[in-house]
Amino acid sequence: MKNRKWTLLLFFAPGTILYLALFVYPTLSGFYYSFTDWDGLSPSYSYVGLDNFKTLSEHIVFRKSLVNNLKFMLAVVICQTVISLILALMLQRKSKLSAALRSLYFVPTILSSVSVGFIWTFMYDPSLGLLNGTLDKIGLSGFTQNWLGNMQIAIFSLAAVQAWAHIGQMVILFVAGLQGIPRELLEAAKLDGGTRLQVFLRVTWPLLAPAAAVVVSYTTIQSFKAFDLVFTMTNGGPAYSTEILSTFIYNTAFTNFKFGLASAGSIFFLMLIAIITWLQFRVIRTDRASYS
Amino acid sequence: MKKAFLLPLLAALLISVLAACGSNENDNSSNSSSDSGKSGKKVTISFVHWRGEDVKVFDSLIAKFEAENPNIKVEQQVYPSDQYQTTVQAKLTDGSVGDVFASFPGAQFEAISKAGLFTDLTGESFVANYTPALIEAGQKDGKQLALPYQLVYNMPIYNVKLFEKYGIEIPKDWDSFLAMAEKLKQNGIIPIAFPGADIGPGQFMNTMVMNNATDPEIFTKLEAGETKLTDEWWVKTLSQFKELNDKGYFQQDALGTKDQGAGALFAQEKAAILATGSYQLAQNKKNNPNLEQGLLAPITVSADQAVYEGIHTTTFMLAVNSKSKHPEEAKKWIAFLSGAEAAGEYANGTGQNVTVKDVQYTSEELQAVSEWTTKKTRFQPRYTITNSEIQTAVTNSIQAVLGGTSPEQAAKDAQAIVDQQLGK
Repeated sequence: MKNRKWTLLLFFAPGTILYLALFVYPTLSGFYYSFTDWDGLSPSYSYVGLDNFKTLSEHIVFRKSLVNNLKFMLAVVICQTVISLILALMLQRKSKLSAALRSLYFVPTILSSVSVGFIWTFMYDPSLGLLNGTLDKIGLSGFTQNWLGNMQIAIFSLAAVQAWAHIGQMVILFVAGLQGIPRELLEAAKLDGGTRLQVFLRVTWPLLAPAAAVVVSYTTIQSFKAFDLVFTMTNGGPAYSTEILSTFIYNTAFTNFKFGLASAGSIFFLMLIAIITWLQFRVIRTDRASYS
Repeated sequence: MKKAFLLPLLAALLISVLAACGSNENDNSSNSSSDSGKSGKKVTISFVHWRGEDVKVFDSLIAKFEAENPNIKVEQQVYPSDQYQTTVQAKLTDGSVGDVFASFPGAQFEAISKAGLFTDLTGESFVANYTPALIEAGQKDGKQLALPYQLVYNMPIYNVKLFEKYGIEIPKDWDSFLAMAEKLKQNGIIPIAFPGADIGPGQFMNTMVMNNATDPEIFTKLEAGETKLTDEWWVKTLSQFKELNDKGYFQQDALGTKDQGAGALFAQEKAAILATGSYQLAQNKKNNPNLEQGLLAPITVSADQAVYEGIHTTTFMLAVNSKSKHPEEAKKWIAFLSGAEAAGEYANGTGQNVTVKDVQYTSEELQAVSEWTTKKTRFQPRYTITNSEIQTAVTNSIQAVLGGTSPEQAAKDAQAIVDQQLGK
């Protein structure tokens, strides 16, 4: 019995060591550095108490990045949830193309964010890019834009790419949710004379709500954590219009050499994500419909 | 049975722990190579820089150096310039890479020197090989911490043949600069290809501001709180940026154009001027061998008020990492590069002027800029900003103006960030 315990402990040890070294230690040290003025390079630094958090609360660029991040998150969540739901409903219909389309929607998910960033930077190029070129060719020249150079729309151009890159995962989640709904319920609703819209609103949607909540929750966290795309496509520009929390933290730490301030930003970021996740899981719990 | 099962498990655990300590292993091997160096065996030094386009020339130089120094092997590692600060600086702190490394002047030089990562090169014999006035950017507190190797002119490049075709002379004041741009525009040529999405603002601002604020210390004074971006010199500069943009002298949607896009417009001769710097002459020529190129600076004032003709920067600053385990071998590599022969091979092979004395330039691109060595140029103003948040605020105010913000408002917004940095 004693040997069995040791064996179990040995099995757990590698994972535990890696988890402690790669997750717990960096998180705790980040927490520690958030109370210092360390520049990330010098061997010495001082304890500054809550100064970094105070600086952060007044920091003009940090505030801009928070607002931008909220805009980005809302655009991604709305865009990704609505489109993936529509695609999932279309895929539910029996068709020879369904399987092929499902794979097609999933393809962007397997591309690296950096590649996606480069591809879309080219697509968005105002004079040489495919997007404006295509709009011109199909007679929609009025819709051509300076997608990443217009300070008013650049953040939404990035949100569209973020949504495009991850929509496949969300479609799969919705398809799984739809497949879990008993066919008899839908057929009964149809027999009772329900229109397609009524069946969707009264039967499908309530039963799909848990899947939708997972999609919204996952998308929210994912869009808050977005970094690679924004970094490769605009790096926060033009004129801070696409600066988000992750690029602010990155630039603060590695370009401006304010590691203590960046750590404080990371702690704020961690708490924000934790609160959003907690709120969403509460919603999922209270909003759960049942067909049993 | 149990023992037979536990043995591989323990081995797996040991391997995973060793894997987690991989970096320490590397350090140990590096230490042992240091010892072997002392005992006459081969020592490997790491040479880190950001210029991917120079790799072939450095490979050739490394081969020659290694032939002269059979006990030293130079390993060249290149990181893209936009990632250079983030990727390399952290690595320099543990001495694992970058026995010899390159750094940018300005904010990066300040950060590295503050962290004590530069070895003091004062008094080394090879320092005398450089033109003294051109290595000042690598000095701090009376010490020569780094040796700026390249001499770059951060000035717009122009298409000589296009200027000749339309009978345009190099403008000597702001009015003639505008007239030049208008003439090009009327002939269907984009006057200025401006990479507004990335390097454009940081490059073009130098020539735009040089005569609006002739004080070489202007940005030092900004960082000391003695002048403001809302003062006339910067608001005027922003207004002139706005004027160029509003009159259509930049290509359409300049804020969405990156370096490569603007370079393509120039190489395809759709644009007459490329608002970057001499470091792109060789690349342009590669893209279009028929190009004939020169450098020109916009003079933003009247001819009699113009003090400076252009901008120069001494950059690609070579240094020895203070954490290096092979400082003597690292210095030997810098000494080799500092020789007129090696520096000449580098200059002519890469199309870059160098700060080393007595170098013979043979390439067409270098000859095109050689006249600038005798002209009145000033050190790149942007690199005199040592706080990178202030540097970003300054360049972002240019982007804001091109994006539609008024020069006064953009200057005010940027000054608010400067004030916050200064703790006001």
